[in-house]
Amino acid sequence: MTALLPAAFEALVPFADRWVIDGSIARAARRGDADPADRAAFFTAAAPLLDAALAHLDRYPIDTLPQAEQRLMDMMLTLAHVSLTEEILGDQEPAHARQRQSMRITRSPAGA
Amino acid sequence: MHGERPGFQGMSDDSLAWLGTAPIPAAPYHDPAWFELEREAVFRRSWLQVGHICELPDSGSFIRREIEALNVSLLIVRGRDGEIRAFHNVCTHRGTQLVEEESGRRGTFSCPYHRWSFGTDGALLAAPDFERFFIDKADCALPRVALDICGGLIFVHLGTPDKGLRDDLGPYATMLDGFPAAQATTFSEYVYEIDANWKLTYDNFQENYHLRFIHPRSGAPAVGEDNPFGYPVKMGFHGPHRTQTIWTNPDPAPKPVQAQSFGRAARFAMADGTAGPHSRDYLALFPNFFILGSPAQPFSHTVWPIDARRSRGVIRLYWQGEDDCASRRYAREYAMASARDIHAEDRDVIEAGQRGLNSGALKHIHFQAQEALCRHLFNAVDERVQAWRAERTGTTPVARAEAIA
Ligand code: FES
Ligand SMILES: [Fe+2]
Repeated sequence: MTALLPAAFEALVPFADRWVIDGSIARAARRGDADPADRAAFFTAAAPLLDAALAHLDRYPIDTLPQAEQRLMDMMLTLAHVSLTEEILGDQEPAHARQRQSMRITRSPAGA
Repeated sequence: MHGERPGFQGMSDDSLAWLGTAPIPAAPYHDPAWFELEREAVFRRSWLQVGHICELPDSGSFIRREIEALNVSLLIVRGRDGEIRAFHNVCTHRGTQLVEEESGRRGTFSCPYHRWSFGTDGALLAAPDFERFFIDKADCALPRVALDICGGLIFVHLGTPDKGLRDDLGPYATMLDGFPAAQATTFSEYVYEIDANWKLTYDNFQENYHLRFIHPRSGAPAVGEDNPFGYPVKMGFHGPHRTQTIWTNPDPAPKPVQAQSFGRAARFAMADGTAGPHSRDYLALFPNFFILGSPAQPFSHTVWPIDARRSRGVIRLYWQGEDDCASRRYAREYAMASARDIHAEDRDVIEAGQRGLNSGALKHIHFQAQEALCRHLFNAVDERVQAWRAERTGTTPVARAEAIA
């Protein structure tokens, strides 16, 4: 049985079922729909690991990441969205989430 | 590190006074009759930005683009000879729209109605039972639309251009050549619909007066003690087009993830050589296109009118090369998400402005000196509408839009 996430990132396993998300549209949507406490907990756990995660992932060819690495990649891509709420917006998030829905993502290099 | 540095110095109000100081008539921002004039006077007579060459990588690659202001559907195709051409997306038999897909790749374009089929160069190749028609195939090619390319960007002209694209853009053509979009091979995109006039919408994105109020958190790096409104360092004008050099806070105090994310983007830009001399320059090309030269957030924004009081915005971030590693993929996702956050904040307040104008309560609106780019857009639109109206009625153009206000 393979690990859910690469060894050094086991601390993020409890978040995997909600925060490993494929596609930019779905990532942006989860940021807005999420339970605020769960989103904040994910950010607190994942943000300090961002640099290490990308350094780890950069050792693999991007288009053929092993499954555990792919999950970590999708988690860090979700962190990109979530960090904007947690770091920048703070209590503006509820109003902002509604406004963001009007900006429909149609394409991204990571796959919309 | 932090020695004395000179405070912010923008454009003096006096240096912009040539644009005028009078109140601006409100009607052009909501009146359907005015918009009817703009369709022909502005949109039929301008080069319009509709896409990027990276959308048409191969022979037979095509995109369909709708230009509601002119009731036009365009089919833009890369031919077997490599040339990119624009056609009306209209079958020459009886007018059926040829292509429904937004983009794709095909060797021929076959009409769904009676199966006339056209080549990638627009020629009619085959038509069932064609002997019974009273015309030559050579006279049945798809109607061609003028197309030109600058800095990788595709422009079309739906009238008779009196100038080629580069000539029209003047010095901004060379600037565009140096923007990151010129080398782009892919892009991120998000779109929005808005209940607001195209100029009201566009103006929001060419004035900084609102930044501190509408983007108090997301826009923090764009304002600072020296420059509390984040006014531009420089503004410039060429014909109906304009430019500004944006000011950024020298002590932005970024948050940790924000710093890591933009830091990565900046390192990629340095390594790729996309961090050129234009990284703070922003072009506003008449009538409805913006593009920023920043390699970290190389975005463009086109505001398409749907009618007098509705528009559609298309925002893209242009990237050079496919994602080659996790860090690059991450940096691009962050750049898109953060740009989208800022754009999301503008939409509500623009619509609120439109609702106010639609009431007809105001005869005039006002632009302050540092809203010069908005005034310049109005002047360019007004000039064209007056000229168009005068041509049609055989009178001399009046100086301003007061007639309708
Ligand atoms: S309308 Fe296209 S083939 Fe008849
Ligand atoms: Fe704004």
